[in-house]
Amino acid sequence: MITAQAIFIGFFGIAAVWFGVVVFRTFSMVRSAIALLFSQTALGAMFLTMEVEFLGVLQIMMMATEMSIMAIFMVMFMMDPGGMGEMDMTHQKQFSLTAGFISFVGAVAVAVFIDWGPVSTVAVDSVEQTKALGFELLDRSMLIFEMAGITILTAMIAATAVAIKPASKTSQPKSSSTAHGDHQHKEQSK
Amino acid sequence: MSVELIWSLITGAALFGVGIYGALSQTNLVMIMMGVELILAGALLNMVAFFRYLHPDVAAGQMFVLIIMTVMALEMAVGFGVAIARFRYKGSVEMEEAAELKD
Repeated sequence: MITAQAIFIGFFGIAAVWFGVVVFRTFSMVRSAIALLFSQTALGAMFLTMEVEFLGVLQIMMMATEMSIMAIFMVMFMMDPGGMGEMDMTHQKQFSLTAGFISFVGAVAVAVFIDWGPVSTVAVDSVEQTKALGFELLDRSMLIFEMAGITILTAMIAATAVAIKPASKTSQPKSSSTAHGDHQHKEQSK
Repeated sequence: MSVELIWSLITGAALFGVGIYGALSQTNLVMIMMGVELILAGALLNMVAFFRYLHPDVAAGQMFVLIIMTVMALEMAVGFGVAIARFRYKGSVEMEEAAELKD
């Protein structure tokens, strides 16, 4: 039976996939990042429609921040961030299309043909869900939770260490032109 | 069978397929990372759908979702660290110019 929830899940699902496709179809990197942001936000809206409220809000908040940072990095790293030159930055297109299509068909076949058993139509109250997650995080799954936190911290430190420009071992001698320039500058300031 | 569950799984499959296409076809490191983000988004949606429709009373389902979100954040942090280092040394994050990494 088609319920209002199914209709909204379908709507937001189509939006998420459509914006996911737009990510790789536009030449502008900023548009690409914004399309990914919309795709992830539509996913968050799907979670909210499913009445999984904490995870839905978390998804939207986290992805909004993540994609904003990604947009900044894309503008920094790309040769043509605005996409005005319409540069083609793809390779092995046919192979990629085939691999993507086969993955999609395989996953859909699994989703449709497997008997998933009894389905719960009534969601647990959102307060109870969040409370249960809190107890799970600080009780049974505490070690996993702590490990995730330490892993993120390690990755942040490692990423910063990799990105820092190494200091040169030998100090550069001052060139005569620079010294001359400094002297002139001092004289002018007098 | 629940229409909502099937819709969610099909959407997850579509996001996974688009992500695979993106990760394999793009030449820029940041765009490849976007493809991986979409792959993980597909996995995330599947986990939420399984939690909501099959085991709503087991909170460990939500825990798995948090782990996938952590992996997404890690991928971003490490990916951008590598991208900055690569850009500093080579002036580009084009992966077609990174064939020497194989050696």
